[in-house]
Amino acid sequence: MSWSAELAEALGRENVITDPARLRTYECDGLTGYRVQPAMVVLPRSAEQVAAAVRVCAGHGVPFVARGAGTGLSGGALPVADGIVISLQRLRRVVEVDPVNLRAVVEPGVTNLDISKAAAPYGLYYAPDPSSQQVCTIGGNVAENSGGAHCLKYGFTVNHVLAAEVVLADGTVTTLGGDSAQVPGYDLLGAFIGSEGTLGIVTKVTVRLLAKPAAVRTMVADFATVAGAGDAVTGIIAAGIVPAAVEMLDNLAIQAVAASTESVYTPDTVAALVVELDGPPDDVAEQFDEVQEICRQHGSTKIMLARDADHRALIWKGRKAAFAAVGRISPNYFVQDGVVPRGRLAEVLGRIAAMADDAGVRVANVFHAGDGNLHPLVLYSEAEGQHDRAERLSTQIAELCVELGGSLSGEHGIGADKACSMPRMFGEDDLATMLRLRTAFDPDGLCNPGKVFPTPRLCGERPGPYRPHPLEEAGVIERL
Amino acid sequence: MSTVTTYRPAALAELRDALVDSARAGERLAIAGGGSAAAWGGAPRYDAVLDTTAMSGLIAYNPTDMTVAVQAGMPFAALQETLAGNGQWVALDPARAGTVGGLVATADAGPVRHAFGTSRDCVIGVTVVLADGTVARSGGHVIKNVAGYDLAKVFHGSLGTLGVLAEVVLRLHPRPAATATLAVPCDAAAAFDLGGRLVHGSLEPVAVEWCDGTLLARFDGTAGGVEDRGRRAMALAGAGAEWLPGDDHRAGARWSAVADLVRGADGDTVVRLGAAPDRAPSLAALVDREARAHAVDAALTSSPFAGAHTVRLRGATAAAHAAVVIALRTEFPATTVCRWADGLHDELPAWGEPPPAVAVLRAVKRAFDPDDRLGSGRFAPWF
Amino acid sequence: MVLTPGGSGSFDAHHPPRRELLDDCVHCGFCLPSCPTYAVDGEEMDSPRGRIYLMDLAERGEIPLDRTIAGHIDSCLGCLACVTACPSGVQYDLLLEATRPQLERHVPRTRRERLVRRAIFAVFPYPARMRAAALFGVLYRRLGLRALAHRLGIVARLPAELRAAEDLLPPVPVRSLFRRPAPLVPAAGERRLRVAMLEGCAQRVLFGDVNAATARVLAAEGCEVVVPQGQRCCGALNLHAGLEDDAAARARRLIDTFEQAEADVVVVNVAGCGSSMKEYDRLLADDPAYADRAARFAASVRDVNELLAELEPRAPRHPVQAKVAYHDACHLANAQRIRTQPRDLLRAVPGIEVTDIPEADICCGSAGIYNLVQPATAEELGRRKAANIESAAPDVIATANAGCLLQVRRFLTADIPLVHPIEILDASIRGVPLEKARR
Repeated sequence: MSWSAELAEALGRENVITDPARLRTYECDGLTGYRVQPAMVVLPRSAEQVAAAVRVCAGHGVPFVARGAGTGLSGGALPVADGIVISLQRLRRVVEVDPVNLRAVVEPGVTNLDISKAAAPYGLYYAPDPSSQQVCTIGGNVAENSGGAHCLKYGFTVNHVLAAEVVLADGTVTTLGGDSAQVPGYDLLGAFIGSEGTLGIVTKVTVRLLAKPAAVRTMVADFATVAGAGDAVTGIIAAGIVPAAVEMLDNLAIQAVAASTESVYTPDTVAALVVELDGPPDDVAEQFDEVQEICRQHGSTKIMLARDADHRALIWKGRKAAFAAVGRISPNYFVQDGVVPRGRLAEVLGRIAAMADDAGVRVANVFHAGDGNLHPLVLYSEAEGQHDRAERLSTQIAELCVELGGSLSGEHGIGADKACSMPRMFGEDDLATMLRLRTAFDPDGLCNPGKVFPTPRLCGERPGPYRPHPLEEAGVIERL
Repeated sequence: MSTVTTYRPAALAELRDALVDSARAGERLAIAGGGSAAAWGGAPRYDAVLDTTAMSGLIAYNPTDMTVAVQAGMPFAALQETLAGNGQWVALDPARAGTVGGLVATADAGPVRHAFGTSRDCVIGVTVVLADGTVARSGGHVIKNVAGYDLAKVFHGSLGTLGVLAEVVLRLHPRPAATATLAVPCDAAAAFDLGGRLVHGSLEPVAVEWCDGTLLARFDGTAGGVEDRGRRAMALAGAGAEWLPGDDHRAGARWSAVADLVRGADGDTVVRLGAAPDRAPSLAALVDREARAHAVDAALTSSPFAGAHTVRLRGATAAAHAAVVIALRTEFPATTVCRWADGLHDELPAWGEPPPAVAVLRAVKRAFDPDDRLGSGRFAPWF
Repeated sequence: MVLTPGGSGSFDAHHPPRRELLDDCVHCGFCLPSCPTYAVDGEEMDSPRGRIYLMDLAERGEIPLDRTIAGHIDSCLGCLACVTACPSGVQYDLLLEATRPQLERHVPRTRRERLVRRAIFAVFPYPARMRAAALFGVLYRRLGLRALAHRLGIVARLPAELRAAEDLLPPVPVRSLFRRPAPLVPAAGERRLRVAMLEGCAQRVLFGDVNAATARVLAAEGCEVVVPQGQRCCGALNLHAGLEDDAAARARRLIDTFEQAEADVVVVNVAGCGSSMKEYDRLLADDPAYADRAARFAASVRDVNELLAELEPRAPRHPVQAKVAYHDACHLANAQRIRTQPRDLLRAVPGIEVTDIPEADICCGSAGIYNLVQPATAEELGRRKAANIESAAPDVIATANAGCLLQVRRFLTADIPLVHPIEILDASIRGVPLEKARR
């Protein structure tokens, strides 16, 4: 029997998609620049069906790509032409919320926000909060080790997952992690989280829940210069304060937000810092005053304090919708994601501005200033033929971050998008050692192939008519 | 008895050479840092020792970025001392006086694991050298970074069986302006209940530890904030509770008792184990029952909400210790023996029931150290 | 596939979905959790993002207009929750309205689909036929035929569409089937506005009480209420089903009828009708004889909640003790962006507590004729909605749309009264208990 017939039999016809038009809706995730039509999409209804699908793939050497909500921004869920996509959108059960043990057990298709909603009646919540939290799934969060605005204080997905049931590349089901962090042996769970779907498919996740902080205070501080805002961030950190979040938006980003929602940001400020403190009330009150003082010392032109929870929600709504809102001020744009050591924020922003001028396109900045995680948005017009310039600039920005001692990606992942830039950050031996880990989990390389690691095919060619790769043009790589 | 070769590299290149040379010589290596965890798990078979303590330098420290890069052989206490000068620390308070690399390899932590986790949660980058001399780096110098696999994680808890940690980059936290400790004499069940009320009440203790009949909760923050929480915590705790402000001798002595218990002494058996938070009371009961049954002097310290517990067995015979450990392992399979009473190795396999993913553990070991040269036998009988 | 000359890809030249509107979608996926069909089956093609993707591919000529794409566009409820959720401002409503007529023109429907649709469009827009059907329904119940049909298993053997219709019929007293408001209701006290009221088709037959309450409340608040005689269907069902020409013809006729009333405002108490009447300008933009009149007409349309919120309350409110779960009708909340007004009006009644419903932004599955043509999905959504409402344990459920009232009632397991919010206001203003006010 052909593998496609086996899959249809194992999962039932109603859970597989083979029609070409339907398959095309799965050809990309949140990064639309890369599109590959898969040979089949399966929508399992249980972990057993996921394992069954993977077993068929393993038996026939068919590559498979797991997909959550398809919101990833690095092409991590980009299908493989001769392979299948395993959509986890039918595994959406919150299995258990256990307030006594401060944890919840959920299926991978549950959205990040729905975990917090399920925990809310117990005064608990799930801390990592990527901007797409109302749509992105915990399965995708595990794959990408997602962070969010509040990870400065609270850490990333990896710090909040206790255990995961996973389907390995041969179709066996196992559990990584356990009842506590004290599991003897290598931290396989930690290695699995953030492996971008290349080590297996998660089918159940046990997450840690935190008690909601007693107090939350939020402010928006305007600055006349981006450097001033950057210095204020350094000042806050130097004062020994760990804010729950420190976010920066520049004027272009603020314009985009204003065009999309009820904006609370000052329309003409050059830069705005969103600073949020949370924790015990007295500690928060004391440090909140201190943060305002530091902002004023660094030349803040205006400080707006969130009046109440609704007002705070508006501040965050604007910030979190900023990426998508940029669609309102530019026909096309790239979302970049890079990290620099916090001390080099002002420097990197200056260099990005200069590079943008050279390229003749605009760059909006909205980012997690507290941990140096930049999200430059390169705005361009496809119609005006700016695509290639913009894409080149975007790649150069990520590589600039590496040059300044940072990272290619703080949270969006390497995926298909940046695999070719990986040699900028890691040497051959580094990558080869990482591949040893991959081999231990997936000896045949069937699990989300073509992601994270550079391959000659991926980095040398693109589907469609020949276009030189930016790195090739820049002389960084050669066609193999 | 032939003398054992010792490699004592002082730099990354020397470390790589040591591994290449030993590979050529076909030697099995025991990797040693401060030596405080030499006995963890199984007893390794080795032909030579690789001593990392000469690799003890500070590589880069920029207080503004709140990260520090060190050679893995640096004593952890020395690092904390350096950082304290800038009002910063690595948010870890292990009992042992080991090296930074040793902390990672043992997945160790102390009571502040309640809020900050273990060494896995502080490490943001590593450079490792594999058995064949391959030098590999992962992570980096920034807190937020998802580029590539995080090799630090597989080395976390590796007990010297995958490769040698050469350099470690850690994220730092500011030292709090004020600290205080709540001490409440109570049994394990009451401690779990009160600890739960402190946590659910959003009082945000950084440590909740029940040690041998006393609940200790540490609060860090601003002076006013800690004082306020002290009032509320005391109200929750009721009669018999003590509030010990600062890090002075009274509070310090309480926390030292926890570390003493975890370290143990010659002749003791010390076992670390993991359990879901609500099993803390039943674990305490089990320890009591087994200790009485086998006439062993047993002491327990628990971080219930982090699910980490340490049991110290003292007195009686190795066979009695073995019986208690077996009873513990039966109920709590995630168990590591960290200190072995004399003769206990003869009574007890090094590890109990393997974790469900043991096949993957084996595959990782094979991929990194195919000839089983590093820490051979440390994870026997699992692999 | 035959490409119509001058068309865009697979679409013909008559108002295909516009390229620049398609390009607004950046594929971020923020719409996914708002989409009812995606909530049900989790398939990308049955999400707004997936549907736009299919439209985009068709517009590029990369996929044909066939039963595949038609199935996924048909499955859309048109609830427009995605429009509300979209941070990029994608005008999915325009895309959907442009795509549906194209599919109606180019993708032949199956015999069964044709029959069902023909039956629906032959009954619903005609109050007299609707009344006959409802009367049959009442007799069917009264005479025990319904119980008999169920007992004999006849209902179970009916096609799903008919089964849905059978189940949707509300238990209406015969007398209320014939209740009509007076052609002119004078304002109480000084006249503030002259308003022309839409009676609706199914509305006037099944919810005559709501129309009566609407006229009373408006009059009490100083509006002179005209009910233009001879008014016919507004064409909302046709418009939402992609039957553009029929919808336009009905729009022209309604404009003719209402212009004669010379009112300041056209008031509507059915969300679905109101939202399409507000779109008449777009619908008739190509018709030189009607374009300007349609624009004026559309600008004068107000939902009754919207209108009352604009008027400073004049009539005193008497207490009504009830915990009310307010269910947002999609065509009110998403299409007309009227969310706060009905809640505020209810809260202004002493004794009323307005409670939130989980998953409030997910459609109940009514959606015009959706629950008759896509019964399976509608049923799942209806059950989900009813369960969510019941989880809030309200005393009363209020929703400002006839379709929602029918759909939610069908799936409720608890005996909770379902009303139009105007009925609560009516009871409050008249100072009578809610259940009495509704008789």
